[in-house]
Amino acid sequence: MENINAGDTAWLLASAALVMLMTPALGFFYGGLVRRKNVLATIMHSFFILCLISVQWVLWGYSLAFGPDHGGLIGGFDWLSLRGVGQTPNPDYAPTVPHLGFMVFQMMFAVITPALITGAFAERKRFKAFVVFTLLWATFVYDPVAHWVWGVGGWLRVLGTLDFAGGTVVHITSGVSALVAALVLGRRKGLGSIPIEPHDATMTVLGASLLWFGWFGFNAGSAINAGGLAANAFVVTNTAAAMAALTWMTVSWLHKGAPSVLGAAAGAVAGLVAITPASGYVDVSAAILIGLGAGTFCYVGIQLTKRLKVDDALDVFGVHGIGGMWGALATGIFATVAVNSAAADGLAFGNPAQLGVQAIAVLASVTYSAVMTFVILKLIDVFVGLRVPEDEEVLGLDASQHREAAYTI
Amino acid sequence: MELAAFASFAVLVVAWLIAPTKTAVVHIESVKKAAEAAQAA
Repeated sequence: MENINAGDTAWLLASAALVMLMTPALGFFYGGLVRRKNVLATIMHSFFILCLISVQWVLWGYSLAFGPDHGGLIGGFDWLSLRGVGQTPNPDYAPTVPHLGFMVFQMMFAVITPALITGAFAERKRFKAFVVFTLLWATFVYDPVAHWVWGVGGWLRVLGTLDFAGGTVVHITSGVSALVAALVLGRRKGLGSIPIEPHDATMTVLGASLLWFGWFGFNAGSAINAGGLAANAFVVTNTAAAMAALTWMTVSWLHKGAPSVLGAAAGAVAGLVAITPASGYVDVSAAILIGLGAGTFCYVGIQLTKRLKVDDALDVFGVHGIGGMWGALATGIFATVAVNSAAADGLAFGNPAQLGVQAIAVLASVTYSAVMTFVILKLIDVFVGLRVPEDEEVLGLDASQHREAAYTI
Repeated sequence: MELAAFASFAVLVVAWLIAPTKTAVVHIESVKKAAEAAQAA
């Protein structure tokens, strides 16, 4: 136990709690964007995933993602039900904090990632299908990709991929899977012919604000120590979120004639997504440029998705898919050893090869997530059925799936 | 890179100055219903 550092341990456990808050915050972010007949079902997606993956992760998820390597692809069953994961630090992952602390910090990442996807199939997915999908997706998509990028021996880690807090593992996998889910499920009934409006924009802005707060644990906690790197990640996270919010609001103001409040909230989230992989490798000037890119690219991406008539209900691909890809590539451009001597320089500092490595990671995670998500959804459609019947969709998922109502006033 | 960061922020400030100040009214269903209800009352 002599290697345990009290400051590092306190910061990592506090960060785990901050990241935990992000999942219910996401529920409120999404909950405000749906119609009032579906708000409870939408919040339940996030809350249920917090419970489901908390158990899946300790039973087998952590072992598959971080357990001893098998061929660079998966972690194996050595740490099933946390066998051998105790109070002693693991020198490979977190040499100064208890292994259990690192495990629970990573658990919160595994929790929020499938919750992000739920925004794509909001207002029309059968609850049972959602439950099965989440369990299969976490096991066959999240856990392997987390091992590729972060696990000791993972092939993308060996290749030199830089992903400080989950741009590839969390945001690209969830964003691309969301697009596939939107395409497989099809459009909501009445979309384009009847008004489908957010029922409570204030709930969405509050959710976005709480996401922003929790993101300090997500990124600064990923330093795994309470030192300078954590402080750098904290500052660039805040800067990129602010810049992306300003950019998105401005672009929407020029495009649609008004400075959108929901646009500012979505822009902040896009900035947080984009800075995630870069937060331990870039300085504050790069964070401003990453935020600028996130606010612009994600906004344009969402307009294109809508033009293609894809019903990604709450713009998950636009924010997390495009924001995640931009963040991963931007890391390959702006990374500098002046910020993190254990990493590598990017294109802007004379190392174009790093951008190539980042592109390989993007391509691999996009392809794998898309194919696996499609297969999982098709299997569930055969055995369970993905969508609720039309009459239940019209009635709303709160009543049809949960026999409850969000508001009685 | 510092120059690019300052320039990008300056672009936003200029955009706020030239952005439209009067916007066309967009009909949001819930807002429209509330207005009609207020009128009826």
